[in-house]
Amino acid sequence: MAVRAETARLRTVGVREVAVAGIVLGCFAFVLSLPPITARSPWWPALAGIPAIGAGIWATTRGARRLGWFAVSAGILGIALGVLATNASSGHLKSVVSWTPLFATMFVFATPLTFAALGGMFSERSGVVNIGLEGMMLTGAFFAVLGTDKLGNWALGILCAVVAGGLMALIHAFVSIQLRADQIVSGTAINFLALGVTGYFFIQVYGDQGIPGSISQVPSVNIPGANHLGAIGRIFGHLNLMIWFAFAMLILSYIVMFRTPIGLRIRAVGEHPRAADTVGISVYGIRYAAVVVSGMLAALGGAYLSIGYVGSFNENMTAGRGFIGLAALIFGKWRPFGAFAAALLFGFSDALSLRFQQPWPSQAVLFRALPYVLTLIAVAGVIGRSIPPAASGRPYRKQ
Amino acid sequence: MDEGPVLELRGITKQFPGVLANDHIDFDLRDGEVHALLGENGAGKSTLMNIVYGLYSADEGEIVIKGEPVKLSSPHDAIDRGIGMVHQHFMLIPVMTVTENIVLATEPHTAGVLLDYSGARQRVLEISKRFNFAIDPDAKIQNITVGQQQRVEILKALYRNADILILDEPTAVLTPQEATELFAILKDLVAQGLSIIFISHKLNEVLEIADRITVLRRGKRVETVPRAGATEAGLARSMVGREVLLRVDKGPAHPGDRLLQVEDLRVIDDRGLEVVRGVSFDVRAGEIVGIAGVDGNGQTELIDGLAGLHKVASGRVTIGGKELTGASAHIRLDEGLGHIPEDRQRRGLVLEFSLAENIALHDYDKPPFSRWGWLNPRRVIERARQLLREFDVRGGGPQTLAGALSGGNQQKVVVAREVSRNPRVLIAAQPTRGLDVGAIEFVHKRLVAERDGGRAVLLVSLELDEILSLSDRILVIYEGQIVGEFTPDVGEEQLGIAMTGGRRSEAAA
Repeated sequence: MAVRAETARLRTVGVREVAVAGIVLGCFAFVLSLPPITARSPWWPALAGIPAIGAGIWATTRGARRLGWFAVSAGILGIALGVLATNASSGHLKSVVSWTPLFATMFVFATPLTFAALGGMFSERSGVVNIGLEGMMLTGAFFAVLGTDKLGNWALGILCAVVAGGLMALIHAFVSIQLRADQIVSGTAINFLALGVTGYFFIQVYGDQGIPGSISQVPSVNIPGANHLGAIGRIFGHLNLMIWFAFAMLILSYIVMFRTPIGLRIRAVGEHPRAADTVGISVYGIRYAAVVVSGMLAALGGAYLSIGYVGSFNENMTAGRGFIGLAALIFGKWRPFGAFAAALLFGFSDALSLRFQQPWPSQAVLFRALPYVLTLIAVAGVIGRSIPPAASGRPYRKQ
Repeated sequence: MDEGPVLELRGITKQFPGVLANDHIDFDLRDGEVHALLGENGAGKSTLMNIVYGLYSADEGEIVIKGEPVKLSSPHDAIDRGIGMVHQHFMLIPVMTVTENIVLATEPHTAGVLLDYSGARQRVLEISKRFNFAIDPDAKIQNITVGQQQRVEILKALYRNADILILDEPTAVLTPQEATELFAILKDLVAQGLSIIFISHKLNEVLEIADRITVLRRGKRVETVPRAGATEAGLARSMVGREVLLRVDKGPAHPGDRLLQVEDLRVIDDRGLEVVRGVSFDVRAGEIVGIAGVDGNGQTELIDGLAGLHKVASGRVTIGGKELTGASAHIRLDEGLGHIPEDRQRRGLVLEFSLAENIALHDYDKPPFSRWGWLNPRRVIERARQLLREFDVRGGGPQTLAGALSGGNQQKVVVAREVSRNPRVLIAAQPTRGLDVGAIEFVHKRLVAERDGGRAVLLVSLELDEILSLSDRILVIYEGQIVGEFTPDVGEEQLGIAMTGGRRSEAAA
């Protein structure tokens, strides 16, 4: 049995490479028709796409099923999109597919998702499902504005956001850990609570005259001389400070989760709380801490939206970004860099839809749905199964 | 070290709602001995040890470790005092590595905050070398065998410098070979200065490994005896409180009609492998046919194929003269099949349902349980009460949740349900797995009674003793095929050879 599996694995090694080459070729078929190459004949994408399909079929018949099908679909999609692109006017193409601003905007849109996804990771890795990320994010967005306005300083605004998000998370923690209530219900309640609380204070405090336009905003980091560094420089040269902060949190989260004893304990509690308990780890303590950190991170994402990106607040301004952050977490298999990659992908589709609005407003809407479609595909197990922590969603009862 | 015991329990009492789990129990563990704690399921062995490990706190009594009275309010305290425990259900995290599992909660670190994985790995290697464990420190728990997982549990305790090791029913999950290996390890540990408490309800292994044996019954200590002079019969009597028949008493069989006929049955499992490869046999009314074999040779899939729980690739299954090869499980049950499944907790019972609901699980749609499509809860409960009495189920009434019962009593409920339906064919898969002597005796007697009542009984078991003592005919399954048929007077050795495929290759030569 084991021997058979071993030989099967060896045989697929070469096949896998062919399939990957097919996938790359399929993507290339599309890229050919985009700026800067902008091939205008539909034959070019076909020329790259057909071998991709061939490679995919060949790989599928030789054991590498999943990768093979990827290559086939990449080839077909590559040809279809490529041909579509060659039919579009090149002026429109140029205005939509302008790589530097696309990537810069991608980071802008990916940042709140990254914060939310990292927050979700702490909570879910400890075994508490946090569907309340959306609400915690919204809380952060509002209290960042309130704090900045009343205390006169964006740094204190961020501090307010983090405290408020943490408190919101504390409610979720108490209900789902201490009272052992259903975590989905509790999370949903948090979302409505946040909507209510922020809406109430927004009208109470700013109902008459609105938010002053002069509140201090988180500054952008202008790297001197970045514009001379080519595309990379133009993409990274003027990002908001909080985007850089998100990168830092990403790396920090990775280190904490996978390189420290604390991370090991969080994961142990999320996988098998009883086992953690029997070696003397406080399951409740770890879960409380993880959920509160989760709320703080989500609040940072909200703060970025309000005082980083927009410079204001309006009701329900997060508009589902907490949920997309959660989707990014699942898409990225509950790992920080995986979630970040997913956030970038979702951010990119957002950026694309923004630029689509000029020439093709109706198609732009389609791209908004992309994160959800991709997440469905991920959960359905097409791209390697996405398996949550074993004890996720299950309350723990001490003996 | 002084001459006193390393661990002493004085008058430990623990009351659970409705049950006095431990009633003034005295116990002592001497330096360098293996002390077995013997008792039926529910006798209070695990409760007592969970108190020693700090998971429960005793209502009364005193714990003295190395001459010092202590209070243990969490496992942490117990670990600090040098106590390690290997739980019956392993406390390991499947997706993590051996090293990660071992160091969890006592992780070495570098630079103050970072986990020192290579250092941890090094220590794990050192300890496993010192105690002669062959373990890959980087393997994930989910990829190693149950026997190796158990060694990881022992390493976990050793890593925390335990010198008192508690093993809770350690052989329940092991194959006989793995159990032999475990005993060798335990002897090694004792030689290196550890003291071991060995919880079990299996008489033969207790007599093999223990220096002294303490017997518990219904929360009370019955006796503590040295191994020398102890006998299986004597220990069984103190465990159960009465004489126990360790051998099954049965008269000759009077086989009648062929009630279960299986022809060239083939089953393909979820991985696409053919695991039952052309099995043919029949079982007559009034006989017990035993299927012997090493675990994983197609027994589970064969039973599932017969019971309609797994699709059959080809072949025929006939019950009472009626072909039911493609029929659903429900139809088969209606046609006179009874099935005691091998995993009572997952397949035999709905643990979250009451005993009455579990008993009505098959025939809920027929009178007396329901009429005109309406359930009659009163009848369901009435029937359950009657069966629970008849089958001597203890620990709860009709409204008790099935999950609250001990394993032996759960099995009695399953047996009660299946037998009371008056099946023509009864399939019993591992009917006594994990049961104590009293419950085993009960199930065995009942199976023989069913045989004598004219039913065809198919017994599938991994326990050779059980096969030999119950069966009228024995079939040996190996790699999905029936490789031999024997009468019950066959020697264990001969059966063993057939079970490992020996006989077939001989015949082929």
